[in-house]
Amino acid sequence: MSQVGKLGYVDSKLGAPTSGQQTTRVLFNTVTPAAATSQLAFFKNFNGLTNGQTNLTQNKLDSMESMVIKTIWLAQYTSGFIASFGGQTQQTLSIIVGNQTVVKNLPIQFNTGTNGQSFDRLHANAGATSNIQGSGFEGQVDLPCEIRLLTDIVIPPQVSFEVRIDGGRPYGTNTFVCALNGYGKIFSAGASF
Amino acid sequence: MALSAQDKILYVANKLGLSTLGQMQGSTGAVYDVDTENTGLLFSNASKHAQPTVTNINENKFEVNEALLVESLAFYAFDNSDNNKRVVNLASQLGSDNVVLFDLVIANKRVMKDTPIFVAGQPGTFASVALQLAGFAPDTTLDFAPRHQIFMEGAGILIPPQVEWSINYRIFNMTTGAASPFSSQANIRLGAYLFGTRVLLNFNTTI
Repeated sequence: MSQVGKLGYVDSKLGAPTSGQQTTRVLFNTVTPAAATSQLAFFKNFNGLTNGQTNLTQNKLDSMESMVIKTIWLAQYTSGFIASFGGQTQQTLSIIVGNQTVVKNLPIQFNTGTNGQSFDRLHANAGATSNIQGSGFEGQVDLPCEIRLLTDIVIPPQVSFEVRIDGGRPYGTNTFVCALNGYGKIFSAGASF
Repeated sequence: MALSAQDKILYVANKLGLSTLGQMQGSTGAVYDVDTENTGLLFSNASKHAQPTVTNINENKFEVNEALLVESLAFYAFDNSDNNKRVVNLASQLGSDNVVLFDLVIANKRVMKDTPIFVAGQPGTFASVALQLAGFAPDTTLDFAPRHQIFMEGAGILIPPQVEWSINYRIFNMTTGAASPFSSQANIRLGAYLFGTRVLLNFNTTI
């Protein structure tokens, strides 16, 4: 089933609106954990975050909005520079939509290299060694970690959701960003483009 | 079966009452513009910009029976100093923990909403290994130039004829949460491409 078909199917099953502007949606949320924390919870706490650290104000979509998650993108920034996510340790990811766990303890790194990257061959250029490049350099040797889901996951309107990462070691006071990338609908009265 | 680009164009055209759009020339096209005024708006001021260094459009709306189905968007930095006028990768001008948040607006409707472009590289853009660079001395490791592009999901979004469109954007630092405008860097400005299936005016008669 295509992502467009899946979103329409789930929305209609839940009695959610199926009209609206079809678009590409990327939701993101930033977490700066306490140094000893070994679990990250994205899309849970929005207190004190600016528009540059999240593009939501609560952990649910508006009443006329819904989306399909196609890929999950994770980045760690240390002293402002991109770094390998979670310091090269094995970590697992879970997605909770409503009170249902829809992705459960999925390891986020397949150890193809020092950095580790996702399972699918779309991201075959993984495994760059750890280094830091900042502004002024076009290139970087660390990449964000990205996982493409084999089954599209729907976030319906007005249902809370959360992304959890469990790591074996403290994450330290770094900045972590999670982005959910996919196809979605946003409110549109009348004709849509 | 997935909706094709042509199907989507005709579907929207039909909804908008554009009965002759289907008779026009199908093509591939891209429009681009740079926010040289640093107002946080792209394409709105294109009529004042030099071609082809800054933009390739005369105004931010297509003429009668011309349209663009936006299937991909990309952002870049532009060195607007007199001697250079160069297109450069965003990562060469902004730190990797910066993000560009943008809205794509068609007429008075926002069709892409608070969409982030991560300077460290956009989701879905690591498929290509074509952007590898030689390592910077003394580090000889292979480097990657991150892409700042969105491949639209579904069939894309149609910009119909005679309707204004624009992109408004803000730049932030994700570590601090503070705004991180280009204005702190002299002569560096943000530019964007919209790429996709184009409809060009085609007279099927002698004029």
